[in-house]
Amino acid sequence: MDFLVEGFRRGVQLILSGDADVFGITALSLKIALSSTVLACLVGIPIGFVVGTTRFWGRRAALTVLNTMLAFPTVVVGVVIWGLLTRNGPFGGLGLLYTWWAIVAAEVVLAVPIAAALTAAAVQSIDPRVRRTALTLGAGPWRAHWAVACEARFALLAAVVVAFGRVLAEVGAAMIVGGNIRHHTRTLTTAVALASSQGDFALAIALGLVLLGLALTVNVLLQLFQGRGHA
Amino acid sequence: MLRVRGIEHHYGARRVLDIDSLDFETGSITAVVGANGSGKSTLLRILAFLETPTNGSLVLDGNPIRTRADRLAARRIVTLVEQRPFLFSGTVAANMVYGLRARGCRGSEAKRRVADTLQLVGVADLADRDARALSEGEIQKIAVARALSLDPKVLLLDEPASAADRSSTNRLYQIVAEARDRGVTIVIASHQLEEVYRWSENFVSLDGGRTSPVSPENIFRVEIPAGTGSKEVRLGDLVIHVVTDTTGPATIALPPDDLIVSTGGFSSSARNQFQGRIQRISEDGRGRVTLRIDAGVELVARITPSALADLALSVGSPVILSIKAMAVRVF
Repeated sequence: MDFLVEGFRRGVQLILSGDADVFGITALSLKIALSSTVLACLVGIPIGFVVGTTRFWGRRAALTVLNTMLAFPTVVVGVVIWGLLTRNGPFGGLGLLYTWWAIVAAEVVLAVPIAAALTAAAVQSIDPRVRRTALTLGAGPWRAHWAVACEARFALLAAVVVAFGRVLAEVGAAMIVGGNIRHHTRTLTTAVALASSQGDFALAIALGLVLLGLALTVNVLLQLFQGRGHA
Repeated sequence: MLRVRGIEHHYGARRVLDIDSLDFETGSITAVVGANGSGKSTLLRILAFLETPTNGSLVLDGNPIRTRADRLAARRIVTLVEQRPFLFSGTVAANMVYGLRARGCRGSEAKRRVADTLQLVGVADLADRDARALSEGEIQKIAVARALSLDPKVLLLDEPASAADRSSTNRLYQIVAEARDRGVTIVIASHQLEEVYRWSENFVSLDGGRTSPVSPENIFRVEIPAGTGSKEVRLGDLVIHVVTDTTGPATIALPPDDLIVSTGGFSSSARNQFQGRIQRISEDGRGRVTLRIDAGVELVARITPSALADLALSVGSPVILSIKAMAVRVF
């Protein structure tokens, strides 16, 4: 039990002392998580919008596929992306394997279904009168879609936050396609895994606290935004 | 202004609307009446170009509306206030400018139109209120104001005053009539029959998605002779006693619930007694029986199932309908 308390104490010390390793890893993790979230949302939210608001043949199947992809094993995604980016793979020539861009690619694959499925659920729950009202007031199709998005903004924001949380906390794919290379592809989660396997419990605790702090910050910001919207 | 030609509309296998022809003239108010589920709201959504009929066509201002672009352009001059209107989250003022912005009206012109319309409808004090904190009656008023601010050529109102008190309803219909006088074509679907009949010059009665040649509620356009108090009004071969100071063209209503059905003549204070024969009997399952009676014109009377049983009425039975002159409503 003492080693846990000691690890926690030293972890806090590392953060407060501005340890270069801790802050470097945090900065890289944030860069990867933010890039992945932005790209995943740019792809996933429009997909979710289309699936959630339009009627087309195969729509139910599309929803089922999206919901199934939510449970995609991260290591499987890691292996597939590794296969695509490895020297002999179809995109091997890009030289992306073991770079932070490779991690971004894997995280985007994992986060797109989250953004899409939660967006579809969000817009499906919106009152159908929103779109009808916008149309009857003279809005074109895009403006009417925007009206639906505005009414669903809190649920859409929650989808973004969940996607961000997923990519920030992901470890399997990042380890496989990033290689956990110090100063290049070592993220908070892969660093925690390495530190704990090496017995550096203080570093693992410090990085874990940073992860929790980031997740807490994002959720507090979301709550504040939602609270202001509902005031 | 707006013409309907041979429209049919289906929800799945169910046909909900089947109308040969309807014309809504410029600067007129048309009341669409009918029971729940008769197709009133569907017709209004089709007239608003929110739904495309399964078959048939609509002609707006002489132009057939066929393509998606046609419908978008049509929605810029036709607007609908739904039965349960929706206000976007945000302030009332933000809701008011939404449609104006969609039409390219911004800045001071938009602000002026919003302020003027809110003032007209008597809800200027609500401009900065959160739209989600309004009562149902206030939402209806804002929705009507929002539609009027767009200065539409065709205004469709689905139960526009169902949550309003009597004075607000009266004010609303006055505003609607003023819009009609400015040349706006107005179509109102409502259960508030007294109000719509008072303010409308044209009536469309829907029954099971089809237009019905006879109003279900015994409403007739008549010419009332000069004078005051008790008068005799001719309706085809019928002479109807009414008490009114109104003269000239007017609408009279013989409320179906106020018509007394009997099988033999009797002495009473009722000045109106019409002989007729039952053409159709239908029960609504809620303790009311509707009789359609040919008395020279078709009249509708409502009685209870026990009265139906006691009088042993069936299709073809001769009956006498009675109603007091003072119970005949004149609009």
